[in-house]
Amino acid sequence: MLPEFDLVMPENLQQALENLGQRNPGVVPVAGGTNLTVDMRSRRHTPATLVNIEHIQELTGILQEDDRIEIGSCVTIAEILKSPIIAAVAPALIEAARGFANPLIRNRATIGGNLADASPAADTAPSLLVHNAQVELWSKKNRRILPLDEFFVGVRKTVLQPDEIIKSVHVPKTNRPSASSFYKLGLRKADAISVASVAVYLEKKNGACGQVRIAMGSVAPKPLRAYAAEELLTGKHLSLKLIEEAAKLAAEASSPISDIRGSAEYRRRMVFVLTRRLLTHLAEMMELKDW
Amino acid sequence: MSYVGESAIRIDAVAKVKGEALYPGDFNLLGQTYMKILFANRPHAIVHSIDTRLAESIPGVIAILTAKDVPVNEYGLIMPDQPVLCGPGSNKPYADRVRFIGDQVAVVIAETEEIAAKARDAIVVDYEDLPVVTNVHEAIRPDAFKIHPDRDSNVFGHYRIRKGNIEEGFRRADVIIEGDYSTPVQEHAYLQPEAGLGYIDEQGRVTVVVAGQWTHEDQHQIAHSLNLPVEQIRVIYPAIGGAFGGREDMSVQIVLALAAWKLHQLGINRPVKIIWSREESFIGHHKRHPYFIHTRWGATKEGKVVAAEVELIGDGGAYAYTSTKVLGNATLMCTGPYEIPNVKVDSYAVYTTTIPNGAFRGFGGPQGAFAAESQMNKLAEALNMDPVDFRLKNLLQEGSLLSVGTPLPKGVTIREVVEACAESAGWRFTNGKWSKAVPPQNFERYQHLKRGIGFACSFKNVGFSFGAPEQCMAKIELYGQAEIERAVLYHSGAEVGQGAHTAFVQMAAEALDVPLERIHLVASDTAYTENSGSASASRMTFMAGNAIRGAAQLALEKWAAEERPAVGLFQYRPPRTTPYDPETGKSEPNFAYGYVAEAAEVEVDIETGEVRLVNLICADDVGKAVNPQQVQGQIEGAVVQAAGYALMENFVQKDGEVLTRGLSTYLIPTVLDIPEQVKSIILEYPDPIGPFGARGMGEMPYLPLVPAVTAAIHDAVGIWFDDFPLTSERVCNELKRLKLSA
Repeated sequence: MLPEFDLVMPENLQQALENLGQRNPGVVPVAGGTNLTVDMRSRRHTPATLVNIEHIQELTGILQEDDRIEIGSCVTIAEILKSPIIAAVAPALIEAARGFANPLIRNRATIGGNLADASPAADTAPSLLVHNAQVELWSKKNRRILPLDEFFVGVRKTVLQPDEIIKSVHVPKTNRPSASSFYKLGLRKADAISVASVAVYLEKKNGACGQVRIAMGSVAPKPLRAYAAEELLTGKHLSLKLIEEAAKLAAEASSPISDIRGSAEYRRRMVFVLTRRLLTHLAEMMELKDW
Repeated sequence: MSYVGESAIRIDAVAKVKGEALYPGDFNLLGQTYMKILFANRPHAIVHSIDTRLAESIPGVIAILTAKDVPVNEYGLIMPDQPVLCGPGSNKPYADRVRFIGDQVAVVIAETEEIAAKARDAIVVDYEDLPVVTNVHEAIRPDAFKIHPDRDSNVFGHYRIRKGNIEEGFRRADVIIEGDYSTPVQEHAYLQPEAGLGYIDEQGRVTVVVAGQWTHEDQHQIAHSLNLPVEQIRVIYPAIGGAFGGREDMSVQIVLALAAWKLHQLGINRPVKIIWSREESFIGHHKRHPYFIHTRWGATKEGKVVAAEVELIGDGGAYAYTSTKVLGNATLMCTGPYEIPNVKVDSYAVYTTTIPNGAFRGFGGPQGAFAAESQMNKLAEALNMDPVDFRLKNLLQEGSLLSVGTPLPKGVTIREVVEACAESAGWRFTNGKWSKAVPPQNFERYQHLKRGIGFACSFKNVGFSFGAPEQCMAKIELYGQAEIERAVLYHSGAEVGQGAHTAFVQMAAEALDVPLERIHLVASDTAYTENSGSASASRMTFMAGNAIRGAAQLALEKWAAEERPAVGLFQYRPPRTTPYDPETGKSEPNFAYGYVAEAAEVEVDIETGEVRLVNLICADDVGKAVNPQQVQGQIEGAVVQAAGYALMENFVQKDGEVLTRGLSTYLIPTVLDIPEQVKSIILEYPDPIGPFGARGMGEMPYLPLVPAVTAAIHDAVGIWFDDFPLTSERVCNELKRLKLSA
């Protein structure tokens, strides 16, 4: 059973920010509620007031700008899955959406909620990280834009202030030939919290590997990039040996724990396997393979 | 007009699809109170005192009941070894102990569920912890701490089989395969957690509306604990959200009846309602037994199995439940559907301080089949023979002797199901032997994916075994004048979601030659319906069908004699079975069987360890498919449930605690995890004594799945797995250990 709470239904973003502007930790925004209601039912989180933001116009929709797309924080995972704009700019995010929970949850859960919840296993995070996504944060007094990598602090911790909400997620566009992919390893095919997940973004430059970004989920207190692995590959011709070395560096960058879903050892090994698999797959796709 | 053999629309379909069918938790009566149970939440302890003063002082608390309030503080389906409520002041010895975390210590009845929960949490219990005994190999030792001090040891069940001369058998063998197998706990995970409503009905009967599998057994157990005449107890089953054996033992039945009765004695005539949460359901009801099986089989180079030696240890958990009966089945099925001249089996049921283990679809059969079929597959490999061809040289036939020294009842069709399944899975009979014509195809592009095909077969009893009293009753009333305008069928058989009630109506229509829509079913209420036995052991269609046919015949005779209404009441008794001889195991174990074979195709990701069940072919001799659509549903349901058992379901207990307390950590298959294709081959070789030829079939397709999957994994990557569930990490580690992964 849910604990009692007050529900505020602001009509626009300004009203919502006014409500949150009291900087009272007992006042929290809610959209899909797929994480929050579970936490409330288990009494892990007992907010006094919920501010319902899910229908606020400024937070919905996917905008095309010249250099980026802006995904409103209340865009649902189901909407992402159907979006040709996102498919063109960030294919890895579509793959993440496809393996996200189940169809019912996907209809309710939002991209903003998935990021704000800051689970190490957040399914959209690795894909957004490799696409150099930024989050636009608004409060009554302040607006700021942060790289997603700086948004996460630790297990279910972010830099989000009590009076702030995620307004949108920016995903930059590129003219350079690029591709991205995501793989989630779960204990089953739906409704599974990932054991480990990896996303890879790859650009092609002068027949070799241009910019490359690798991100991992469920293998550290927060979703994180594998910078050393990225560095190793940038500007190189991709041999299987090099890919394997990069995958090793990614595994070394992870710091998984053992829990009921899997051991730290297995998770680290899976970072290696999945990174190698995605890099190989993208290198083949981009005709970058040097083997 | 034929009604048996038609895929008639289920009589409960419309109500269930529209959400109108009422399950136990949906019943509400004016003035009802709410009950919460205080579970022990510790695995083993003496309860020195229970202080309810603070809890009772909470406004809205109506009553709190403890051990001292239970008239006869014991219950149990096979033996009454469990206190209704654990604690001091009990009238049974050693009932002041809790022996697993789900033991019930007190019940609180209050004005609201919240108040009841608050009061439950305000009860102060003084426990003295006792040793936690979770390892069955330690529990079986003579010097182990006795979990039930009034018994000589923790071993509470033992069978032995001695057939032929085992040493002589092994001397004749050219190949000997030895194996240690273990099988995991499994949770039933039915959709509907335990719930119910208890009240005193208009005739003064203590009444419970609950979900169970056997109304009259519930009634007897409640009457025993309340020390009331059986007639003063009434048990009603409304719609039931799944059972799978998990509702064969008591959960909320006795405490609900106790609460309603105690309130009544206090002059408070108000109904009592309870709904368990998923977590309460997980710790509150029994699980599938983990088994540890050590076995050694020998075969000649011509491919004849000549010796099988098996030791089985079943972890019974804290109380007996149906452990001894499950053990009986496992003891029979651990040597498979094969004629083996020399057999030695020793089996044990052992108490531990874990959640009790009991009935679950297959009832000892899946554990026995896993060991037997794994041994057969390994022997075939060692002999360089095809696993199907090897089986066909050893299958039981009409007249061949079981391990227990007697033949199977007539209608043995294991050969027919094996051949049908093998043929469909690509095996061919050429040059006098069976061989796999089409090996599984791997993809050149995906080097990390390896495919394999595995085969297994099983037999499973229909009905109660080994001398257990077995019967089923049905009553039919015929109304009308010149023609039968309406027929009323009274039957207790539980509709647990399997479609039994629809099958009853179809069989009644057939027996009476009356259209389906004229049959009116009154079901599962001890005030109106007679004892039908349980919805278990794949027996309901078989037993109910024979009872309905008998009742229909009697009613039609009276109809012909112009009686109006014409009433037929019939009790069906199947052929007698006999218990294991204590020395040799000689017995006539069962009166009917079903036969089944399966071929599984899997795909193993050798880098991640993920195993995907790609295709599954099941050939099942059901005798007569009363409703073919429902038969297919049972096959597919059993296969999916067994696939969860094989690959995914991982019930984690540590030191008597449960670490997987809900469906977010104990994972069962979703629709995306089930095999891409399940092909049901429904064979209809009539059982000579089955109604319209029908055999039982609800459990059979469950049995061969795990060994078929492990054989397929072996075919794919060359590793035998002797335990499961085969989660990705488990498979990955083994591949890595054997350096089979890149």
